[in-house]
Amino acid sequence: MDNVLEVKNLCKKYDNFELKNISFKLPKGMIMGFIGENGAGKTTTIKAILNIIKSYNGEIKIFGLDNRKSDKEIKEDIGVVLDDMFFPEILTPNDINKAMQGIYRNWDTGMFNDYLKKFSLLPNKQIKTFSKGMRKKLEIATALSHHPKLLILDEPTSGLDPVARAEVVQIFQSIIEKDECSILLSSHITADLEHIADYITFINNGEIVLSKTTDELLNKYGIVKCTEKEFKDIDKKDYIKYRKTKYEYEILVSNKKDFKTKYNISIIDKITLDDLMVLMIKGEK
Amino acid sequence: MTGFIKKDLAMIKSNFKLLGILIVVYAIMGLMGKMDMSFILPFMCVMIMISTFSYDNYNKWDAYSFSLPNGRKNSVKSKYVTTILITFIVSIITTLLSFIISYVNTQTINYEQILVTMLGTVFGTLLVLTIMYPIIYKFGVEKARIGIFLLVFGIVIIGGLLANYIDLSNILKSLAFLEDYIIIILIIVAVIMVYGSYKISERIFSKKDF
Repeated sequence: MDNVLEVKNLCKKYDNFELKNISFKLPKGMIMGFIGENGAGKTTTIKAILNIIKSYNGEIKIFGLDNRKSDKEIKEDIGVVLDDMFFPEILTPNDINKAMQGIYRNWDTGMFNDYLKKFSLLPNKQIKTFSKGMRKKLEIATALSHHPKLLILDEPTSGLDPVARAEVVQIFQSIIEKDECSILLSSHITADLEHIADYITFINNGEIVLSKTTDELLNKYGIVKCTEKEFKDIDKKDYIKYRKTKYEYEILVSNKKDFKTKYNISIIDKITLDDLMVLMIKGEK
Repeated sequence: MTGFIKKDLAMIKSNFKLLGILIVVYAIMGLMGKMDMSFILPFMCVMIMISTFSYDNYNKWDAYSFSLPNGRKNSVKSKYVTTILITFIVSIITTLLSFIISYVNTQTINYEQILVTMLGTVFGTLLVLTIMYPIIYKFGVEKARIGIFLLVFGIVIIGGLLANYIDLSNILKSLAFLEDYIIIILIIVAVIMVYGSYKISERIFSKKDF
């Protein structure tokens, strides 16, 4: 099994939104950043992968198994953090520990308590007394404490301050290094992903716009900055999107090197995932 | 499933105090020969459990539970099992207390009357569960509360109208031969209705999308 997760032609239609032929693969031991603006379809895709929504078309395989036919078996090995969905807030971390002992075969109380200590979470305090960041940390601790082979994390760093975010990102990295775990991580805080993600899958308006290695994206893609006159000389085939700012044109290109060879434009900036998202969504062709 | 039961029990643990207080009040009032409120206690168990649905809904637990192993099935099963479990425990405690109260007040224990009262109460409680839970799973707690009100209201109206046209005493007389088997019949009916209700709830929940 080379891919822990394979999504093929996933379609789901709502009255005002549609997932259109979503396809991507997450290789074993890798971290995939799943990016897109709010409402692009990240959470809906994740819900379909986890069978939280059932009525969809397409094929989803996890650990090589059909996610609908082998639901229980698959979920024993998945750790999940979902945006805004968790245990009722009148419970305490201790209650969650007791409940999870009866839910996951491999639940590790020692590991859970270690995470509680690491995140400074009091085991006997009700969740409702926790700040948003603390709740997120508790969700992460819960997702990690049964030795999952795949982590599916929907906005796991939202609500965390920069220090806690760095701490959490480091934990994800160390899990990948230690265990044979893979991570699908949706986030709109793309700076985190640039540091840890091996792959980036970008969804926009219910469609996958690109799914590539982070290295390829950050090293090959670039932003050309030029004047209007220079822009008019560029062939449409040689760029993906452009936008006009107050003083210049910003052009997204998929191969900086080739572009430089073809055109005599010297300013080609390195791209960030934020730039990529903004130009892909707001740019024109 | 035990994990889901532990989660539901943890959610209602703060209500155990209230139940304890009510049991003590019942004991005191019973010993003073005042109102018999034994029938209220098992009903309280269902009401307390219904409050857990509100918490689940508020924190979107149902959607989260779908991401857990066997979450769709066990979420529903644990609600039924936990409700039945606490209803039985409270009913047993209440029955034992009723024996004591009966003995203290009259120096005899009217086993038959106490057991029949408790059996009727447990049956009534299970009937509420049978009707309420599938409605909650289908429409949510708030709508279910209105639904149960309309249902009871409807039964009373229809019952009242039917009573005008049908001679109930004749029917009861013709059913008198069942009296000897009433306990067995109640148990069988209770098992069938609760199992049916569970299956309906499970079916509704298994089709839910969040």
